[in-house]
Amino acid sequence: MASVVHPVREGIRGPNIASADVQLPAVRDYEQVDRDIIGTLGFTKKWFLGLSVAVLAMLIGVSAWIYQIYWGLGQAGYEPPVMWGNYIITFVFWVGIGHAGTLISAILYLFRAGFRTSIYRAAEAMTVFAVMTAGLFPIIHIGRPWKFFWLIPYPNWRLLWPNFKSPLVWDVFAISTYLTISTTFLFIGLIPDIAVLRDKETNPMRKRILSILSLGWRNSDREWRHFAKAYLFLAAFSTPLVLSVHSVVSFDFAMALTPGWHASIFPPYFVAGAIFSGFAMVWTIAIPMRKWFKLEHYITLNHLDATAKVVLFTSLVVGSAYMIEFFIAWYSSVRAEQEFFWNRVFGQWWWAAWIMLLCNMALPMSLWSQKLRRNPTWLFVLSLFINLGMWFERFVIVVPSLSHEFEPWQWGGYMVSWVDMAFLVGSFGWFFMWFLLFVKQLPVMAIAELKEIVAPRVKYAHHDQGIDTAGHHLPYGTATPGEDD
Amino acid sequence: MRGVTGAFHELDTTVAAIEDLKKKRLGDITVYSPTIRHELDHAIDAPVSVVRRFTLVGGLLGVSFGYWIAIWSSDYWPLVVGGKAFASWIPYTIIGFEVMVLVGALSTVAGMFINSRIPRLTTTTGYDARFSGGYFGIFIACDAAKADQAEALLLQHGAAEVRREA
Repeated sequence: MASVVHPVREGIRGPNIASADVQLPAVRDYEQVDRDIIGTLGFTKKWFLGLSVAVLAMLIGVSAWIYQIYWGLGQAGYEPPVMWGNYIITFVFWVGIGHAGTLISAILYLFRAGFRTSIYRAAEAMTVFAVMTAGLFPIIHIGRPWKFFWLIPYPNWRLLWPNFKSPLVWDVFAISTYLTISTTFLFIGLIPDIAVLRDKETNPMRKRILSILSLGWRNSDREWRHFAKAYLFLAAFSTPLVLSVHSVVSFDFAMALTPGWHASIFPPYFVAGAIFSGFAMVWTIAIPMRKWFKLEHYITLNHLDATAKVVLFTSLVVGSAYMIEFFIAWYSSVRAEQEFFWNRVFGQWWWAAWIMLLCNMALPMSLWSQKLRRNPTWLFVLSLFINLGMWFERFVIVVPSLSHEFEPWQWGGYMVSWVDMAFLVGSFGWFFMWFLLFVKQLPVMAIAELKEIVAPRVKYAHHDQGIDTAGHHLPYGTATPGEDD
Repeated sequence: MRGVTGAFHELDTTVAAIEDLKKKRLGDITVYSPTIRHELDHAIDAPVSVVRRFTLVGGLLGVSFGYWIAIWSSDYWPLVVGGKAFASWIPYTIIGFEVMVLVGALSTVAGMFINSRIPRLTTTTGYDARFSGGYFGIFIACDAAKADQAEALLLQHGAAEVRREA
């Protein structure tokens, strides 16, 4: 019998994309990944309770919508000159939330940032559900929601087409493209993981459903080869898309001549704010999730630390944008602009502006401390403040501008109605309902990509590559941060 | 399809088996793996995926359509809006870009589906449920005459299990 040459010495732990710079020391093998992640799918009483609260909140929003359709848009607290209120504020808020998912899954993928692997699935799902939520608000805002399709360019008997020079039509294109691509990206990444669920499933009906959803995925080399290329191109398409979507949303404001809106800084300012708020929502979701699902060894302190640095950076960008707005108003010598920005912080809506500045500029400065960056409780609390601050940022952009335009006789007020608040509560209910349904039906972490990080089992020791014969990592030279979390 | 399937628990033995099988030319090889491993890619040495061509064509079609629909409809119903030309290429770039991304990305997915031969609702010869878990798999499509040799080679390389596919 011919002798067999063993082993392949080179490249056993060559750099797989997902594994760059990140280790999961407490995850021993592929089987453990399957066990841990599939183990999160069991229903629990806490989950049912959370879902019930979310559905109740959503029903509050649905009731308000029915009420508003019956009584008209006047119920939304609109009063000239403030004809954009909570709906547009909340629309921009949710679109912003939706940005972190694609940033994590696409941009960080292209940058080979390994810390994305444990959190990107939850962030991607968050993106899809946030954009679904955001998409409701322009439809609610138009008052006659059944006419929303007029915004879509289609051949019609009136021979009318949308005005392609309008930022509102750009919005329709940007948001619908973003929702389609985000959903596609999420589903494509899920295919191999659904195949894992299919192969482990014992219930015949569920197995059949999973077989259809996995599209007959077999983990063959042909499938992986085309999958990897398609995933790369989807990431490449999604990257400029992320930047474009919130830029387009910012054009809704920047294209108008209203004081406080007509600024060329708006696109980067909005994109940074979106990433900032999106990462905060990732914390709001991921930190309880790692605790309840016992996934601390997948989302380690290192992961949280890395995301905290992104939040700190984007907070600095957003803070700089706030300051530049004030500077330009002063520097421009335009009286209306100067009055407006004075009014923003010391006028009728001063409290909203100071909430914004406190939550988005001051509190995130705590993240200069490594100790706080590695404290999940603080990060969770901070995420709630940032969510609040970013909602108020949009309030500060929309309401004070419209209520305080050029002519003093135009100035007016805005009173938030119970219908507005019901919609806000309903939007959170709608978002969390989808997310809670998702986490119990599909893997909340990317099983196949996590396996890229975990060292494969090998028969012959490869000491030069840091693994023993059981495929386990050899002890590190220094204590691995995050291991004892 | 006839052939032999081997299930491996270790990556290095799988790579060694693939390289040996390629040298022996016993038949077409399909490798199953729970995740992407570059070691397997290098051992298989398959050509670069053609999905990129679908992306290019889709992106070009998308950007063309995006500009065209905006320009054509403005020309069809000519109204001066905001003092701009009927066909204003700057604002229409947003439409062109968004449709490019939309069609380009969906074409990429179509390219992946076509080339990967999915959706597939029939069972695949040589596949085993363990290949999505912790095992690597090799299927060699060959006739009975070569099956003995393939089977021996897989076992020699440390396959945890070898079976013949009828």
